[in-house]
Amino acid sequence: MRRILALLWLALVLLAAGHLGWRLAHGLSFRTDLMALLPREEQNPALQKANDTVAHALSQKLVFLVGQPDRAKARAAATELSRRLTGSGLVELTTGGFDKDRLRQMGAAYFPYRQGLLSDTGRQLLEQGKGEEVALRALSQIYGFVGTTDARLVKTDPFLLMPSFFTGLPLPMSRLTLDDGMLSLSQDGMTWVMVSGKLTGEPYALDVQKHLLATLDLEGLTKADPALKVLKLGAVFYAEAGARQAMDETSWIGILSTLGTVLVALAAYRAFAPLWLSLLVIGTGIGTALSASLWLFGELHVGALLFGVSLIGVAVDYSLQYCTEIFAEPAPPSERLRRVFAGIGLGAATTVIGYLTLFLAPFPGLHQIAAFSVIGLVAAWATVVLWLPALDRSRPARHGKCMLNSADGLMRFWQTPSWRRPALLAALAVLGLAGAFRLHADDDVRRMQSLSPPLVAEQDAIQKLIGSTGGSQFFLIEAPNDETALQREEALVERLKGSVALKGFQAPAQYVPSAARQKANRILVSEKLMPLLPAQMQQLGMTEPPPAPPADQPPLTLAEAIQPGGPLAFLSVLVLEPGLHVVSLDGVSQPESVAMMAQGIEGVRYVDPAAQFSALLAKYRQRALALLAVSALLMAPILLWRYGLKGGLKLMAPPLLAVALAPTLLALTGDSFNFFDAMALVLVLSIGVDYAVFCAETTDQRQPVAMLAVSLAASTALMSFGLLGFSGVHAVRSFGLTMLLGIFLAFLLAPMGGRRQ
Amino acid sequence: MIRRLLISLLLCLPLCAQAAGPEGSLKDGQVLRGHFVQERHLQGFNAPLKSEGSFVLAPGQGLIWKAEKPFAVTTIISPAGLVQEVGGNQTMHLASSRLPFLSRLYDMLGGALGGDWRALEKDFQVAKSGDAKSWQVVLTPKAGSDPVAMPFRSIATKGSRFVDGVRIAKAEGDYDDLSFLDQTLSDAPLSPEESSALAAAGK
Repeated sequence: MRRILALLWLALVLLAAGHLGWRLAHGLSFRTDLMALLPREEQNPALQKANDTVAHALSQKLVFLVGQPDRAKARAAATELSRRLTGSGLVELTTGGFDKDRLRQMGAAYFPYRQGLLSDTGRQLLEQGKGEEVALRALSQIYGFVGTTDARLVKTDPFLLMPSFFTGLPLPMSRLTLDDGMLSLSQDGMTWVMVSGKLTGEPYALDVQKHLLATLDLEGLTKADPALKVLKLGAVFYAEAGARQAMDETSWIGILSTLGTVLVALAAYRAFAPLWLSLLVIGTGIGTALSASLWLFGELHVGALLFGVSLIGVAVDYSLQYCTEIFAEPAPPSERLRRVFAGIGLGAATTVIGYLTLFLAPFPGLHQIAAFSVIGLVAAWATVVLWLPALDRSRPARHGKCMLNSADGLMRFWQTPSWRRPALLAALAVLGLAGAFRLHADDDVRRMQSLSPPLVAEQDAIQKLIGSTGGSQFFLIEAPNDETALQREEALVERLKGSVALKGFQAPAQYVPSAARQKANRILVSEKLMPLLPAQMQQLGMTEPPPAPPADQPPLTLAEAIQPGGPLAFLSVLVLEPGLHVVSLDGVSQPESVAMMAQGIEGVRYVDPAAQFSALLAKYRQRALALLAVSALLMAPILLWRYGLKGGLKLMAPPLLAVALAPTLLALTGDSFNFFDAMALVLVLSIGVDYAVFCAETTDQRQPVAMLAVSLAASTALMSFGLLGFSGVHAVRSFGLTMLLGIFLAFLLAPMGGRRQ
Repeated sequence: MIRRLLISLLLCLPLCAQAAGPEGSLKDGQVLRGHFVQERHLQGFNAPLKSEGSFVLAPGQGLIWKAEKPFAVTTIISPAGLVQEVGGNQTMHLASSRLPFLSRLYDMLGGALGGDWRALEKDFQVAKSGDAKSWQVVLTPKAGSDPVAMPFRSIATKGSRFVDGVRIAKAEGDYDDLSFLDQTLSDAPLSPEESSALAAAGK
């Protein structure tokens, strides 16, 4: 029977290996954005769409500044960079910006509607009945110190209403100036030329990142000319740096933890058999898990892979339990398996339950981690139970007296009545209590993903050179139609204007006033300004009145203005659909007071994606703690069935203490508690239960052997999970540190759970 | 607005052009004062739009351009920004931190004041003729210059000790004639009003 099962398992493993090989041959792709690991906004589709659109537009933006002391060399390098960008096939150049053709087209598009278009100042002056001041301002410009008004403009618009409206538009005002067709600036002896573009590919796809960076070859550019500086800004560069870091970490954490495990096994067993048996268990565990996860999800997130790799630490526990039996009284392999069968079965069952609860959290990335872990653990367990006895030719070990003795020391510590036990518990309780008072949560998402410092420095340099480059916060305007949305924006713009809480903003209504506003403007012009026309004409020496637009001229509509290919088409990023608009914000320094400005205007809300994400992380941190409780409750029936009420509760004490103490002791160091710590605690609980079960499922004469196996398990787990504590990504580091301390405590306290009676 | 600013500043250049003349450059601390008459010839208009007033140019500090007729408009340009006032009301205020051309053109201005035409030669073809007693300088934008930033065909300057007249020919056929009268150079510092007016432009 066991033979048949073993063969069946072999068939499954081969199938999985075949699938994995086939996927590897086709090139594996991994997702790299941390956000993909987290849940999506469930409730509000409009908000989700706005978030997606704004985030997408931001994530596609690429800005380069090419600097060289020599203007010609800077321009040549910028041209070369532009050529490479277009050559990559991944980037659409947007360097042109607001060039003269664009401005001219905008002027032509607005011209027929000019009587309905007033600048804010012009409108306020006319509302206050100060038409003369509007006229005088126009005269001062026409007469002024070398004005730019040409004859044609003065003849058609003697009050200069159009230029005044035009200069009030929030055109992306940068510090750059057009120098012979290139946007440039000179500062501190350097000529900087801007090259900007829009990524057409997905910035978080590894192949896009690789291809773009390879084609750009910025190092090549700067190596060829050491005086050349290239500054870059774009989500794709951050994503690439993040992915590279994750990949690097995955490999060194993987290598170190494998090496550590190998060394521990060799030192403990002084034989290769336990080692290769353990590697076989790890190999089938990870291979099957990877293959099955790819089959289930199509593609894996690099974060799921990172967490999955640390699975090694747990998967190896079962084979260690089995292999350590060579230190017990001599017996054939199947008998040795029988001795540990209950322990590893219970351990695997409770751990699988621990991981399965991850499925309850609505985080797509956690589902991947849960699937990866559950499949890997079950595969490892099956390999131990079905294959190891058949493959094992180990002879009983003759060494290890000293090792067994010291491993048993921990058990004896908990079994021998002494003042030391209560002293340790009291010390832990005091420290834990002290930590509990310092325990605080911090869910700020911006701190969770560590951005590459050199890229942040380049971004700062770019912002210093060309002015602000846009922010991620915005106002979302929801209304039944465009006209209502525009009116709501006008109310909002009134409050945003002149606020020191932000640097700038762009609203569709600034470019296309609502029909109501255009109508009011026309009335203001005809009632307050037109009576002054004869005097204005006389002052200017005009003989013919300006051509007036027809009285029945319809107002400019948003739908018309943002038609593709038109000069205002850039507004379409702000107009998601009729009645659903975005007011983008720039340089928000006081988020609270900006958010307050939406108050009382219907259908307007302030959106700060990062803050919302942090709030969501906080919500799910609480949910993860609930998962922890659920996980403990789900394990309880198995343990109560096996150990009885008192025994079961006693057995739960060490893992629960580890779960309670790990975060409170970490809080003593000043660390804050976040979602990733909470997720680590879910795993600490199941690993802690494993250790307590291994300790409980032993007998007097096997006790040192079981303790040695648990010690080996704990040291390998500390090596794999603990290493995550050295990750550069804050979220991963939090997870790793909590695991490190939690596993150590679970191991230290495990024998406290008592022995099965 | 951008264009206005640019031209405004370029007008300073001929004022400073005596630096190119054999008299040598205006030194720091020196102040040039005088009267101006500006005639703006717009195509299709019967008569030029004429304004007159006074100006104060202080190297490194800025220019005060004060039209008195037909109505009072004061334009103040300093390296830090530009302010326009009509009847005591500020009608325009631009800080150069928002508009780097201002600083850039001030670099050019500085070059011209120092008698260094190379700063101008970056953007203009510079043709000089005449002698110390009567000289002409004609600035023509270089081919390829952005027409938004350089919306004129030429700037012709003539002078003797100081600049006496400037003609700015624009692309559309309009042109401005500027004449400068009663110019005096003094080593006395700016008056407190002038200093504070220039300082206000940078706020």
